[in-house]
Amino acid sequence: MTPSGSAPGETRRKSEMLDSLLAFGGLMLLRDSVEWEGRSLLKALIKKSALCGEQVHILGCEVSEEEFREGFTSDINNCLVYHDLFRDPLNWSKTGEALPGGPLGALTAMCRRTDPGPVTIALDSLSWLLLHLPCTTLCQNLHALSHQNSSLGDSSVQQVRVLGLLHEELHGPGPLGALSSLAQTEVILGGTVGQASAYILCRRPQQRPTHQTNWFSILPDFSLDVQEGPPVESQPHPDPHTSLVDPMTHLTFNLRLSKKEREAKDSLTLPFQFSSEKQQALLRPGQGQATSHVFYEPDAYDDLDQEDPDDDLDI
Amino acid sequence: MAAEATCGAGAGSTGSLAAAVGMSNVTSFQRRGPRVGGADSGGPRLMSIAGTRPSVRNGQLLVSTGLPALDQLLGGGLAVGTVLLIEEDKYNTYSPLLFKYFLAEGIINGHTVLVASAKEDPAVILQELPAPLLDDSRKQELDEDIYNHKTPESNSKMKIAWRYQLLPKMEAGPVSSSRFGHYYDASKRIPQELIEASKWHGFFLPEKISSTLKEEPGSLTPGYIKLLQFIQNIIYEEGFDGSNPQKKQKNILRIGIQSLGSPLWGDDIFCTENCDNSHSLTKFLYILRGLLRTSLSVCIITMPTHLTQNKAVIARVTNLSDTVVGLESFIGSERETNPLYKDYHGLIHIRQIPRLNNLICDESDVKDLAFKLKRKLFTIEVRDFYVSYIKG
Repeated sequence: MTPSGSAPGETRRKSEMLDSLLAFGGLMLLRDSVEWEGRSLLKALIKKSALCGEQVHILGCEVSEEEFREGFTSDINNCLVYHDLFRDPLNWSKTGEALPGGPLGALTAMCRRTDPGPVTIALDSLSWLLLHLPCTTLCQNLHALSHQNSSLGDSSVQQVRVLGLLHEELHGPGPLGALSSLAQTEVILGGTVGQASAYILCRRPQQRPTHQTNWFSILPDFSLDVQEGPPVESQPHPDPHTSLVDPMTHLTFNLRLSKKEREAKDSLTLPFQFSSEKQQALLRPGQGQATSHVFYEPDAYDDLDQEDPDDDLDI
Repeated sequence: MAAEATCGAGAGSTGSLAAAVGMSNVTSFQRRGPRVGGADSGGPRLMSIAGTRPSVRNGQLLVSTGLPALDQLLGGGLAVGTVLLIEEDKYNTYSPLLFKYFLAEGIINGHTVLVASAKEDPAVILQELPAPLLDDSRKQELDEDIYNHKTPESNSKMKIAWRYQLLPKMEAGPVSSSRFGHYYDASKRIPQELIEASKWHGFFLPEKISSTLKEEPGSLTPGYIKLLQFIQNIIYEEGFDGSNPQKKQKNILRIGIQSLGSPLWGDDIFCTENCDNSHSLTKFLYILRGLLRTSLSVCIITMPTHLTQNKAVIARVTNLSDTVVGLESFIGSERETNPLYKDYHGLIHIRQIPRLNNLICDESDVKDLAFKLKRKLFTIEVRDFYVSYIKG
């Protein structure tokens, strides 16, 4: 990291993004596009891993080795192990310099690596590999690559980290989705005018995925400078919640009770509730009922039995 | 009862028969034995298999999915001989839970478990199964969960429906004494002794496929062929299809296949637009269903259907499976921060329920279901829009 005379807090923030990205192993997918290129971020990650003392293997397919090594200091360049697929991918020159087996052979050779210790493998780029290999083969090899050395005992410690650069505009949603589902970390590069951003999605096993957005810029020596985002006014921020709260205001029934209404509701006597007042009112033939009389005129079919069968009942 | 039923007929002969029936409690119509559905009828003797029960509607033999709430939604349980397809959610956070509950239920009941995966080692999957909740701790969990969700109105004594005050609170699940469905604690691991005491088989694809086999066009991918052969061998050797008549005790085979159709299985149906072998997955499901129908087995398959937009593929896969449940989680979508959905972690869609030996299926009336993963329990409930809004 280039301190450039900044306070300790700032250097901590600068290295935080790279540290959080490199904290976990597995497959990390860097999705870039024509406007926001990802190779410089890839190189920044490679530089950070090399500085941490890990072995770094690079499978270069899209750019030449000289162009890739440009910008790295010599001590970092000595740490990098470069496998060149750019110069002669189909082994036409037959000089023996090309990797045997083509891209698939190179990948499987990396899977069978037996050196202990943490290692970072950078694939530049996955798009090139997707165009030359079937998607299923690539996915299976990537899975085998990123799950090396993980036995039952230390399945939490991932020794291998695979960084893959993917140009998302070259592929349809199928391969993109397939590779995303394999990746433990996904970094989608984007940004607004003049400011690059990285949307980082982390998928840990057994845990819910977390996501965050970091604004950064990459310095010429491939160190990272995390910045504040652009001013808020320039970001259009749609607020869907205001429109969704509306359903509550147009109801034809009342969901909430005011204090008075609640008191009135509590003090209401329900018709079938048998309270003591009602009992008294029923038992006592009150004065208020003097005005109501029942007029009964028996007609021919009525049977006025003088022997009332209820007489012996004790009410 | 029979007397009243035949009263309406009014025929003389049935009338006398009805009278005879009415007089004595023992009817002359004897059932030979409870009809056990599925592939295997055990003759006049009733042989009950641990962890199964006959359906109350049509006598079909059912097993539990591991989630009593899901059992209730599927009409009592999962029928033996069928396939349960789980459409994975986008980040594959919650479908492994349902997968593990299914396998854990098999281990607890003593069923044989077959785990097939292209991603993780089956031994690792079995280590991560949830631990079962014991009876007293289960009641404690449920009571504390129900208590937390009481609305303020129901806390006070009921004024209008006061007769219901005395009824016990209903649990969301079957409470039969034979422990058909178990509750699991998602935060704890299953005890190692239970796994070692159980019988399980694992199929890990990278171990089985060593070299790239030549694939014939129009046939299944090599991974699928190997898996089908593996399943067939297990069914035959362990007698789940009745081929070993001297087996002392019948048992159920629970098969779990993780992420079928993903590129890790060698199948490009979900990752390419016009793939060469687009019928590999459908053929696999067809053959698998044939294997399951002729044996005492149940299968759960999780499938990443969110990877494809091709509705034809999804429709074919749905038709070839029996029960289909889709999970939709709110992670990463705009619903995560929406106050209307904040109580839940996702929606659960029951897309299909099979009609087995039947003209109608046991569809529940409720269509709007949501799930949430509480600290320990995975619950499915009806999405209650207004209640959740009132509670704040």
